[in-house]
This record gives sequence, C-alpha cells and structure tokens, in this order.
Amino acid sequence: MSAIIKHIPSWDVWGWTVVALLVPIAFHRLFLKLSGMLAAQPLSYSTPQGSCVHDQPSQAPFSGDYDTDLSDIEKRIGGNSDVSIRPFTMTRIGARAVLILVDGMQNDRLLNLQMMDYLMSEATPDLLTTADQGALKLPFCNLIVTPGADSFAQSVLFGHAGLLIEGLGKGLLVELPDGMNRQMNEPVSEALLRGPRVGFTEVLSENTSLLRRQGFSEQLEMKSYCVGTRLKKDLVVAYIKDIVNPDLLQEVEKRVSRMNIDFASESGYVEQLIEDDVLSPFQQLQNTERPDRVIHALLEGRVAILLDGTPFVLIAPATFSMLLQSPEDYYERWLPSSLLRLMRFGAAFLALMAPAFYISFISFHPGLIPTELAITIIETRQGVPFPSLIEVLILEISIEILREAGIRLPKPIGPAMGIVGGLIIGDAAVQAGIVSPFLVIVVAVTAISSFSIPSYSAGITLRMLRFAGMLFAAFLGIFGTILFFLLLCSHLSKLKSFGVPYLTPATPFRLRDWKDFLIRAPLTTMKRRPAMMKPQDDRRQS
Amino acid sequence: MFIRTDNKITRSQAIVFLTNTVLGAGILTMPRSVSQAMHTPDSWLAILLSGLLILPIVWLMTRLSLYYPGLTVFQYAGRIVGRLPGTVLGLMLVVFCITIAGFEIRILAEVTMFFLLEGTPIWAIILPFIWAGTYLVSGGIQAIARVYQIVFPLTILVLLVSFGVSLRLFDIDNLRPVLGDGLAPVWDGVKASILIFSGCEVVLTIVGFMDQPRYAVRTMLTGIAIPAVLYLLTIIVVVGGMSLNTVITSTWPTLDLVRSFEITGFFIERLEFPLMVIWLMQMFCNFCSFFFQASLGISQLFRLPPQPVIFALVPIIFLTAMAVDKQKELFALGDIIGYMSIGLFVLLTVPLLIIQIIRKRGRRQHE
Repeated sequence: MSAIIKHIPSWDVWGWTVVALLVPIAFHRLFLKLSGMLAAQPLSYSTPQGSCVHDQPSQAPFSGDYDTDLSDIEKRIGGNSDVSIRPFTMTRIGARAVLILVDGMQNDRLLNLQMMDYLMSEATPDLLTTADQGALKLPFCNLIVTPGADSFAQSVLFGHAGLLIEGLGKGLLVELPDGMNRQMNEPVSEALLRGPRVGFTEVLSENTSLLRRQGFSEQLEMKSYCVGTRLKKDLVVAYIKDIVNPDLLQEVEKRVSRMNIDFASESGYVEQLIEDDVLSPFQQLQNTERPDRVIHALLEGRVAILLDGTPFVLIAPATFSMLLQSPEDYYERWLPSSLLRLMRFGAAFLALMAPAFYISFISFHPGLIPTELAITIIETRQGVPFPSLIEVLILEISIEILREAGIRLPKPIGPAMGIVGGLIIGDAAVQAGIVSPFLVIVVAVTAISSFSIPSYSAGITLRMLRFAGMLFAAFLGIFGTILFFLLLCSHLSKLKSFGVPYLTPATPFRLRDWKDFLIRAPLTTMKRRPAMMKPQDDRRQS
Repeated sequence: MFIRTDNKITRSQAIVFLTNTVLGAGILTMPRSVSQAMHTPDSWLAILLSGLLILPIVWLMTRLSLYYPGLTVFQYAGRIVGRLPGTVLGLMLVVFCITIAGFEIRILAEVTMFFLLEGTPIWAIILPFIWAGTYLVSGGIQAIARVYQIVFPLTILVLLVSFGVSLRLFDIDNLRPVLGDGLAPVWDGVKASILIFSGCEVVLTIVGFMDQPRYAVRTMLTGIAIPAVLYLLTIIVVVGGMSLNTVITSTWPTLDLVRSFEITGFFIERLEFPLMVIWLMQMFCNFCSFFFQASLGISQLFRLPPQPVIFALVPIIFLTAMAVDKQKELFALGDIIGYMSIGLFVLLTVPLLIIQIIRKRGRRQHE
C-alpha cells in the first residue's frame, strides 16, 4: 500500500497533467476552427467548360431588330469614352451595319481598313446566310457568333471587334483582341545557364501556343474555363491526354470549376483557392515561368493550369522533391546534375536548420562540438551582450529586411545595397560587439543556401520555418531542434497535394522514382514515368 | 484509384513499422542489462539466442493475424473468444502499450537530462515530446509509417557508422572466453534480453493494416530480423570495445563507448552527437508506435472515435512516465515490461491461436 502511495505523483505533476491534456485539445480546436474558417468555400455549381468569349449563358438575347439592338448595346457600353461606334452601310446588301471596338485593343489598322472596305463595298447578301455546318459564310478567320447582348458587350469591351448587321439578329465578333503585349523575355525568377531562354508572358493565347510549340502531338489537350464571378477571365487546364491519370484530371477540373472568387488576378489566387491545406506552410502547387518545366511536368502525368494575365503557370500535384529540382538538371550530364542536386538538398537543410544548430550548440551543448572549435567560438562571443537567440534574431531579421529592400530597389542600386547592407553592417556589427563573427558566417551561409533553392516560393517557406526552428532551439537546445524536425516530418507526411503524398518518393517508398529524386540518374535508366502519378501510359522509352 | 482512401500500409512500411517499434531504448541500455544478468562476456550469445527465439514467436503472431485479414487483434480477439474475454485481452494489450510508452518516454527524459539538458525540469522535456507524438498519431497509421520511413534510413546509417568507427576499440579478448561458465548464464541473459524485443506485439495489429497480407510472414520476419541483427551488432561492438566490467558499471554503455574516443580532424570529433540525435528520433518513433497502438485498441474495443481517445491518453501516458521515482525503479520497470511481454504472449497469443485452430478444425469437420 505504502509503495503505491509513494508513487502517487505530487500536486504539481497533476497540474502538468491537466496542461498535458488541455494544450493538444486547445490546439486541435483552434486548428479545426481555423481550417474551417479559412478553407476555400467552393461554388455550389461548377463553371461549365469553355472560354469566356464562347458560351456564356446569355440572359438577354438580341431582339433581332437592328435599331433596338444597337440602342441596347449603346445603352450598355456606349457611355464609355473609349468605345468607338462606327455605323456604315453595306452597299451591295443594302443593310445598315455597325462596327464597335475599343480604342487601343485593335492594333492592326490596315486590317481594319481592309475589313471596312470589304464590308462596305464587296460583301454580298448570300454571305449572311448560313453555310452547311451552320457557320456564316463571311470570310473572316476569327468569327464568333454571340446570340446574347450581354456577352457581346463584354467581349467588345475585352477587345474584340464587334459587328452588328441589320437583319442578322446576332452579334458577330470579327477580330481577336490585339492590345499591347510584353515581349517574350527570359524568365526573371528562374534563370538558367543552359536551356531555352523563353518564359511565359501575360497573354494566355501566347502561353498556350508556347506549350504547343514544344513539340508535335495531338495528345496535348487544353480545356478552358471562365473563372471569376465578377471580372471574368480565361483559365486553361492543360494535360497530355493519354498520360494523365483521369482521376487526377477530374479532381483538378472539379476544383478549378468551383473556384469562388470575384476576380482571379494572378495564378497565386487560383493556387490558394484549390490547394488542399490552407494552414500548411508548404506550397501544394508549383508555379513556374518556364514552358520547358511545364511540358516536362505534363509528360510525367501532371496537370498544368494557365491563367490569363500572368506568366506564372501552376503545376499540380506538387511534391517536395520538385521544389528542389531545376530543369537544368536534365540538360546537363547526369553526374554533375546529380551532385548539384544533392548539394541543393544539403543547402535546403542548412537554410532551414543552421541557425537552430548554432543556438543549440552555443547556448546548450558546447560540449558536443570539438573543444577547440567551442573555445574559439566562445572567445569570439565574449563581449556580446545578448543571449544567442537574440543575437541570431538581430542578424537574421536584418538579412531578411535587406533582401526585401533589395527587391524593391531599382536594378542599379540593388547590388550596391547588398554590399552596403551585407558587408558594412555585418562588419560594423561585429566591430561594435553586438554579434560574434562566427554568427555572421552562419547567417551568411544560411542566406546563400536559401538562394540556391530553385523555386522562390519554396525559399520563402524555408525562411519562415527557420525562425520556428530557432525558437525551438532556444527553448530546448538540440532536443528542441530534433523535435522541430520531427514535427516537420510529421506534417509533411500528413500533407497531400491532390491526393499525392507530399514526400513521395521518399515515403511512401517507391524505389523506381528514386532515380529522379536526390540524384538524377542517366536518362537511359529513366525508361518509365514516375509511379507516383499513376499515369495511364508509363513507358517513356520503349 | 488515384487518391487513396484506404488505411493500408505497404510492405516496406510494415517492415519499418515493426523495426522501429522494437528498436528503442534497448540500444543504449541493453548491453548493461544483459551483462549484469550474466556476468560473462557471452552476452552476444544470449542476444543471438533470443533473436532466434523471437522469430517463431513473431511467426505465430503473424499466423494468428492472418486468420482475420484486415482486422487487428482488438477486433478479432472478440470473435475468437467472445466479446467480454476479447475485450479483457485487448485491454491487457492496451495497458501494456501505455506502460511501455510511459517507460520509453521516461528513459528518453532521463538520457536527455543527463546528457543534453541538465537542470531542465522533466515535464519540459516530456510534455513537448508527447505533444509532438500526439500530432503524429492523429494522422493515422499512414502518416506514422511515412515518418518511420524517413527516420529509419538515418538510424541505420548513423548506427552503422558509429559502430564501424568504434571498431578501433574492438578487442576480441573482451569477448573471450566463450561459454567459460557454461550455458547457465546464457539462459539468464536470454531472460534479461526479452525486454529489448518487447513491442513485437505490434505484429498483431499491423498485419491487419498491410495492403498485401499474403507477404505478411516474410515481411514480419524481416521486420523483426533487422532489430535482432542490430542488437547483436550493438552487443558485440560494445562488449568487445569496452570489456565486460566497464559495461556493467556504466548506465548507458553504448553512449559511453562512442564518447570514449575522438576522431580528430573531423567537424564532429565525437559521434555521440549524431548517435544521440538518431536515438531521440528513434525513441519518438517507438513512443508513437505504442501511443498509436493504445489509442487504436481503445477506440476499436469500445467503438470510440480515435481523436478523443488520443487526447485522453496524453495525460495517462504523462502520469505513467512521471510515476516512476528513481532511475533504479525505472530499470526495474523495464524488467517488469519484459515479463509483461512474455505474459502477453502466454495469455494472449497462444490461447487465441489454439482456440482459433480448434474452432477452425471443428468447423471443417462440421462441414
């Protein structure tokens, strides 16, 4: 009996027991509440497939009477100062017609002149009758018939040239928008030494054509959706028909068509609305500016999502290893590529953990590093008035500020700023005795390591998590650092991107996919597509 | 099926699951506990024997589970012996898992406090660890198995490297004479080394989670053979490197062995640090296994949703870990767990298997 009583814990242990119970429950509740609150609310209906110009369900069809229709259109959009309405008469038909367009959207004046000339003096009545397949005989390549005044007005404002002809009862869109575009440039965020120097632009049709131009294939399929409940915009889902897993495609299409947002301004909006886990620090779709990267992903059985108005294309599903791979790995020979890739994984680990290790070694276990090194570090730290956490925070935060400032600065000043910030402030901080020189090395190595991560978004994730790691290390030393690592592993093991476990192929273990994971095996060994995508056709080479 | 909705684990995951459940505190303490029981340098023979002994036991457990594919012991025990006795048997296993989870976490706290965080209050070590485990266990068996698959290769790598480097201290004379005192001490050693394999009861549940049960026997035997071989390596390297007397007097002989030499000219002079790191991760896996088993047992026996059960187990495990007073008691608890493990085998596996076989025979004759 007394033995049992002796083992009944004291009051403070009971107190901690209550804490032990309450903390996870509180976290769980908070997590449930947050994810319930933050999770994307999909639309109750799904947007039908088709681009914004083609088939918008029209609420107000044309009446068929030319004057009513014209005044209706004028009422809708005629108040805009940039809309020019040019009425004319088609002499050979003897019908009135009007060309409506928005200034600056139609570049090719010459074509417009020829078109006007043709319409006014050459068009014959039989052209207005429908031919065999129900299409008008008008000799325009880009001829879209809109039955509704709504979509007609919207398309004209978007840049199409609209044409109304007396007696036709329908609106015609005769020219595609041809506004000012940016030139195709080398992608800024993903520069490579070897590989195509072309990046996506802001125009959807150019982006899709870039993808098409990667090679001859009838299997590359693109389906467009008109997304946005207020300002509508085209979005294209691209995939290779006989490779992609139909379940994956269906899931992507389902999520895309149910996006609930009034305006998708950048593919980042799409990404955040269709991702699996809002609370995860890791991105679950990859964004890229490089067409070659997209086409490689498609050939692996992934799906690409292109949005009009942004050069960033999303690739779904994303896995952790993708974030540390660069297209160049495949262009260079396999030995250097494998080594570079291994180095990148190492750099990512350093970028995440180096400051945490510094804190735990300096503050908790100087005994675990070689004695002479420990003595050297401690000597350099003499006179530093802060605990190591504050010391690291000072330097890490200033580096982050420098980096943020460097992005905003005009190009000629940026490098100068880096020199001033990095070298002079670092040196001065050491001279002033605020931080130790060893720490400057650690922070510099961390920063450089995080630059070596090919994807910018993955870089920010690691930068953010680094601070969490530092806090863990500051509380529990190396024990806390290990705990942090385990928590991260637990999170990544739970995380899925469109049903694909985030850590594949490390776990679930797929040996076949390891050929393209930490190393990049020779191309001849990669005869099959990654098993994690469960593609329909999994032979790459026969 | 592109998106997996089932709750199954692959073969390699099952192997790693079993290995990580068995490979725990024993790496650090086993050389001492076995040597103390034997007082001869034949401890490696004892480990070899108990390793060979555990193979048929695991085989029996796997056979038993294979009678009910897709079900865990908590579900089929009731079908074999009836609802109430089945629940009692299941509860025994749950209590065992909770005890061993508390034990493992307490050992971890002791080691951490001794080597890494002197002066830190014990709850500050235990609580975050349990919470991290709670997060992982909430993810279900797939998440757990995935984390094991990350940790396991690191463990093997570091263990083998540190043993390989420790071979410089290896002296074959430390392992001699073989069978100097006859076979009697070896039997004591086998008894003492049962603890290191306790946890193999997890076989009774993971076979039900395998996606390809037809490979279950081979998978489970591989899963238990890996820790058996690692333990054998450990004892040979530790006793061979430190001599019997040092091993008996040291609390954590494996760590002491690795601490006792320096590799000059390398960034980490002593391999103690990587060994500690992987051991902590290994203990996390170990702990999560038992935590998961206990929560699974309760939720399946009483048809409760898993998440509240997991939360309810957190304070219980914490109390179990805190109930032990001194280190001596802790090691005594370790021995008790070893006996509980034997008891479970005798009380749970064997009767269930016999009754199952009898019932099956009876049914066959009936038809």
